[in-house]
Parts: sequence; structure tokens; C-alpha cells
Amino acid sequence: MNMLRQIRVLVLMIVIACLVLPGFQAEGMALAQRDELILAISGEPDGGFDPTNGWGRYGSPLFQSTLFKRDRTMTIVNDLARDYSVSPDGLTWTVTLRQDVLFSDKVPLTAVDVVYTYETTLKSSSVVDLSVMKSVKAMDDHTVKFVLNYPQSTFINILTNTGIVPKHAHGADYSQRPLGSGPFVFIQWDKGQQLIVQANPYYYGEKPFFKKITFLYLTEEAAYAAARAGQVDIAAIIPMFASHPVSGMRLEAIDSVDNRGIMFPCVLPEATGTHDTPVGNSVTADVAIRKAVNLAVDRKALVDGVLNGYGSPAYTACDTLPWWNPDTVIDDGNLSQARDVLAAGGWKDTDGDGILEKSVVDASFLLLYPSGDQIRQSLAIAVSDRVKPLGIEIRIEGKSWDDIRTLMHAHAVLFGWGSHDPLEMYNLYNSKTMGRDYYNAGYYLNPQVNGYMEKAMGSASEKEAWEYWKKAQWDGQTGCSFKGDAPWAWLVNIKHIYLVRDDLSIGAQKIHPHGHGWPLTDNIEEWCWKPARKGA
Amino acid sequence: MNTSLTARMPYPVMAFIPTLNRRQQTLLLMAMAAVVVGVMIAAGILLDNDRIATHFDQRNLAPSWNHLFGTDWLGRDMFTRTAKGLTVSIGIGMIASLASVVIAMILGLASATLGKTVDSAVSWLVDLFLGVPHLVALILIAFVMGGGAKGVIVGVACTHWPSLTRLIRAEVLQIRFSEYVHVSKHMGRSRVFIAVRHVMPHLAPQFLVGILLLFPHAILHEASITFLGFGLSPHQPAIGVILSESMKYLATGMWWLAFFPGLSLLVIVRSMDIIGDHLRQLTDPHSAHE
Repeated sequence: MNMLRQIRVLVLMIVIACLVLPGFQAEGMALAQRDELILAISGEPDGGFDPTNGWGRYGSPLFQSTLFKRDRTMTIVNDLARDYSVSPDGLTWTVTLRQDVLFSDKVPLTAVDVVYTYETTLKSSSVVDLSVMKSVKAMDDHTVKFVLNYPQSTFINILTNTGIVPKHAHGADYSQRPLGSGPFVFIQWDKGQQLIVQANPYYYGEKPFFKKITFLYLTEEAAYAAARAGQVDIAAIIPMFASHPVSGMRLEAIDSVDNRGIMFPCVLPEATGTHDTPVGNSVTADVAIRKAVNLAVDRKALVDGVLNGYGSPAYTACDTLPWWNPDTVIDDGNLSQARDVLAAGGWKDTDGDGILEKSVVDASFLLLYPSGDQIRQSLAIAVSDRVKPLGIEIRIEGKSWDDIRTLMHAHAVLFGWGSHDPLEMYNLYNSKTMGRDYYNAGYYLNPQVNGYMEKAMGSASEKEAWEYWKKAQWDGQTGCSFKGDAPWAWLVNIKHIYLVRDDLSIGAQKIHPHGHGWPLTDNIEEWCWKPARKGA
Repeated sequence: MNTSLTARMPYPVMAFIPTLNRRQQTLLLMAMAAVVVGVMIAAGILLDNDRIATHFDQRNLAPSWNHLFGTDWLGRDMFTRTAKGLTVSIGIGMIASLASVVIAMILGLASATLGKTVDSAVSWLVDLFLGVPHLVALILIAFVMGGGAKGVIVGVACTHWPSLTRLIRAEVLQIRFSEYVHVSKHMGRSRVFIAVRHVMPHLAPQFLVGILLLFPHAILHEASITFLGFGLSPHQPAIGVILSESMKYLATGMWWLAFFPGLSLLVIVRSMDIIGDHLRQLTDPHSAHE
């Protein structure tokens, strides 16, 4: 009886094995020829996929294409544009368009769509600042003329970042169901879960190898777990998972200007009544405090300790980009020099409580960080611990972005920036952007720096502008880097880490801007299986 | 004989000390639980803050004699963090449960002594609060208060009084119909006098036990709403914070980040529960003489 039962179980197992094993084999074969990808790289936009509302500023807009793009060496090359010229006074930009471009609904893309896109963007109160543009006109079907209010060398970046939307199909729900001339067509978006896209058959550029891509929106832990389970082809992961390899996947650590740093309010507290929110901080308004923090911080240790080595020390908002001034690099981690700076600035511990004082002010200030961000939290804790022996007390507090918005003019904040557009540097240090959005939240003002940056903006060419950007950082006398006024303590640039399936090639990546995940898709047309796999 | 004795024991472990009577056993257990709580609080207060500073050279260490509970990703000693976290939690729990019991006391007394209208109003309030799930109300209140310790304390205090209010109301009603209250009433004493002088003293055990039994609730709720991100700031050494951040590291095999703090929370909560439970036994007239 018992024997019979054992035989039955055995037979059943064999039958199941026969049914299941061919399935595995079929799946293995399908994998080799698969032209679909599943990515867990986060970067879901809150506001949807409308470029006139800021979509596609970092990485590729995917569904739309732009007039220009940057190649691997960060040089501007044509995309939708065939050519462009700038008038000698820098006020008129004329762009001629390709004539063979179709939207994914087969309607040709013309100058009318470009004009519509820029006029809509100008009117929308989005993160894209187009206030420099006076007018945009279609000269003929394939020529567009932009007229500026004042010369601006960084205008080319706006033309590089803004995806062109179709005038005939740009309705109220466009951001939820985008349509454009980019390499991929929108299929489905389940908010908070996934985005499915398909290759655009009418795309004018190099056709992407992959026909269908699914973006899963997972938390960092879930993305890592999915990678371990072999369910995704690429997963964006945080540094702490990097030391745990996943079989069948390789680790890609990509350089970025995705930086983290401490923004200091640079003015003394004002009399109440002039602003809705408090402005100024009597401790961080003292340049000695800001310099001491900058000097004391050991950036290399932060990279190794907090980022597990996946990063690099940061000294400005634009390290390693063409407009970065290498003279801004400092010899940090130097506590004794920091003490000298504090002593020279008049800070002394007169009451013996371990915290320095200057007249009646204690060297103690609040450092805010967004509470969900583990890396910023770790950086804040580490910096606070690091400067304690100097007699500077940094109290840290995790807050929501809404709270930070109201507090950031009066307290230090651990921000993150990093853009391929020098306009960001202009916005961070310029007196015009004081208290606007998250820019220049510390009300930093240096007329000399302002002057250099205005000159950079007014330069005829990008290269000429770069020299002025560098001078704004440090000209030998003053600047907005540590050697000058030190309005920020930049800490680290974060390498973006991805687990990528071993035989998947993601092309040559350029330096990534702020935002972990989406910038990876910038060259998505180049992605393919590595040759050995392709032939299989 | 022996087996029946064990069966009546509150805890079988006490069978090893058969010479003690039930009351002594209860007292001993309470003392042991109090020592556990006391040691944790003392550790939280006395341990050096330097142990929870960042030490990049001691990151992600597994438990050892040097670091009993291991270290986290910033090289902070997890034992110190746990002890300090539990101390913060105990403090918050104490204030919150005290506030909760005081509310219950006032409302229970009022509803039983101030007439029908007040009674039905209080009963309505109790039903209202019991109708909403604890945690939801707690999250709402903590969120409106802007998070932080204040939000948690107010949240726990505002959500934990209803069941105790019912209990106290029933108790007061019972006392109100006892003879000495009738006598006092006939002698012309005011309602307030009766409430304060005749009824209140009878409620002392409820008050004390109420605090102790609400306390574990308060700690667990503090931990859970902080875990969910509505409570204390993530860098504060609170037990909910520790447990919540440890979830991130479980996938990398750092089990000690969740295991020991979780276990400590369990031990503390159970200890408080034991103290409260036994105190009730000792003070409750029905079981005090067992």
C-alpha cells in the first residue's frame, strides 16, 4: 500500500517535471531574442510627461524630441534642428528644422509646433524659466526665429532641454497621454506602478533596438530585491547595496554632477514684516563659520563612509563640467586650520560649554534635510559630528519639502543640485533669484560674482561664457566658491549606480545630471544586447 | 498538590521557588520587570553620546562584545541607540498615557455625576473615538500637529482614553448607588463634593493600573507611527525610527539592526504589561486576597 503510494508520487513528480522543464527552456530561448526590457530606475514625474511643464529636463524626454542635444563630450549637436545662427547682438536666434520628422500619429512636425511649444512653455508657470524670450515666430514651415529680451549664452540649453509637443494634439490630458516625435511611443502609465512604452515606427533618428520597455516604479529596496530575483534588466540602487553583487548582473557606477551640499543663509536675520517667511541666520551669516565647516569636513571620508566609495568630493555646483574652475579644490579635513579661521573670526568659547560664542551669539545652527532621504540624513549626521570638536553645534532635523520651503531662508539646508546647464549656477548665486523657488535660498550677494555671471550670460559663444563662469567661482580675489565667500559647503558628487544585466549594453554614458535613474535613458536608442547575445 | 499549585501560578517559571506564596511571587515578578525597565532607562541616560557619533571605521559590524547589538551604516553603536531610543519612547509613553488617563478620569467622573445630558454627550464622544481605528486617528492627529514628539504625545493621549472612560463611568455609577453616597446626598452635600471626596478615592487603583496598561500601547503606537514616517524625525534615536530604517538593510543581510531593537521593545513592553497586570491583581478587591 505504502509502496504503491510512493510510486504514485514519483510518477506525478515525473509528469510535473516533463510539463515544467520545457517551459524553462522556452523561456531561456525567448530571453536570448527578447526585444523587450524591464527597468526599475525610478524617476516617475509627478506632473506627467508634458515638456511645457518641465518634463525631460534631466535625461531624455523619451516621447518627444528636442531641437538640439548634447553628445557624449557634452558638445551641442543637432537633433530636430538642421542648423542655427545667432545675430551679432546675440538677440535673435534662427533655427532651421529637419523636414522629414513625423509625430507618432504620422502628422509632420513643423515650425508651428515649435512656436506653439515655446509659447505654451512661456505662459505655463513651470520650473522652466523662459523669461528671457521676447517672442518666437515661424518664418516658414521649417524656420523658427527666437527674439530675446537680452543676450543669453545659455539659451541654447533651453533649446536642448525642451521637447517639442504637437500643436494639434496638445490637450488638457497631454501630460497623462503624451505624443511626440521621440524614439518611443507612450502606451500605458499606471501611476506609482509602471510606465510602458513602445518603439516609435516613424522615428527619424537611429531606431532603438528594443521594441518595448517597461519602467517599474519600485522603492530602492524593492528594485534591489527585484534585481536579485532576476525580474528586471536594470535596477537603480543605492550605495549600500553596491557591495552585495547579484549574479548575472554587473554594477555600473556612472559619474555625475548630482551633488549634495549645505546651503548657508548668508544674511543676518531681518526685522520681521518684510517677508512671509523668516530670512537670515546670525550664525551662518558669519563667513568664518561657513569657511570653518568647509575646511573641517573630510569629503573623501564622506564619499567612502556614506557613499561606500561611489562618489567624489564636491567643491562647486558644477565639478568637472567645462565651466568648472579647478582652482576651487581645497585641502579639506583640516580641523586645525578650521580652528584658526574661527579664532581669527572672533569665535571663542568663553563660558566653557564646548560651544563657541561671538558676543552673545552661540555657534549653533539648524541643518535641515528632507526626511525621506537616507543619504542626505547620513551626510547631515556625519557633518554635524565632524564639526562638534570645533565648538560648532549643528542641530539636524528631517523635514518635508513643504516645511523646508518655509524654513530654508533662515536655516542651513542639505540640498542637491547638478545640471548640464550653467544657468543653474547663475540661479544659485545670483541676487536676482534670492528667495525664488529653491534657488539662492540663502540670499547670497556678491556684486563681483553677479557681474561675472551677467557677462557670461551675455557672451556670444558658450566657450567665451565658460571663462566668466570660472571667474565667478574664483577670480583670485573673490568668488562664490570656498575661497571666496563660501555661501555653500559642497560635500559630494554621487555616482549613480545601476545593476545591469551582464549582456545588456547601455552605450557610453555621459556625466549624469541631478536625478538618479532617468538620466540613464538619455541614449536609450544605443542600447542593445552585447554581440555574443545578439547572434544567439 | 504540586501540579495544581503550578496551574495557579501566574508564570510557570515561579514554580522553581515554591516557598513563596502567590502574593510574594507577584511582587517578585513585578520587581524583576521593574528592574528590566529601570536598567534600560538608566542605560539610555548614562551611556555616552560619543557611542552614537559617526565612526566610519566601524560601519556595519555584526554583534560582538564591543558592540552588543552591532553597529549601523554610520558606525553608530546599536545598543546605545536602542537604549536611548527606548528611553525616549518610555518618556513619550509615560506622558501620553498619563494625559490619556487624566482625560478618561475627568470624562468618566463627569458623565457619571453630572446628569443625563453630559452622560450622553460623553458616551457619544466615546463611541465616536472607538469607531475610528486607533492608528488612523493617531496618524491624522500627528500629521496635523506637524509630527515630532509633540504630535505623537497629543495623538496617543487623544486616542487612548475612550475604553478607560467607559470603565471609570461604570465604576462611578456603581459607587453612586452605594449607601454612603446616598447618606451623604441626603445630608445635603453637593455633587462636586461627593465626586471628589467619596468617589475619587475609589478610582485610585483604576488610575494607576490604567497608566501602566496604557503605557505599552503608547510605546507601540509611538513606534508604529514613527515607523510609518509621521512621528519623530528620522535622526532621533527613537525605536520606531530604528526599526523603520533597518527595513532598508534587511536585504543586505544586516539582521541585527532589526532583531535586537525589536526584541528590546518587546521585552520592555511586556515588562510594563506584567507590572500593570499584577498591580491590578494586588489592588483589585476581587483578587487581592488570593
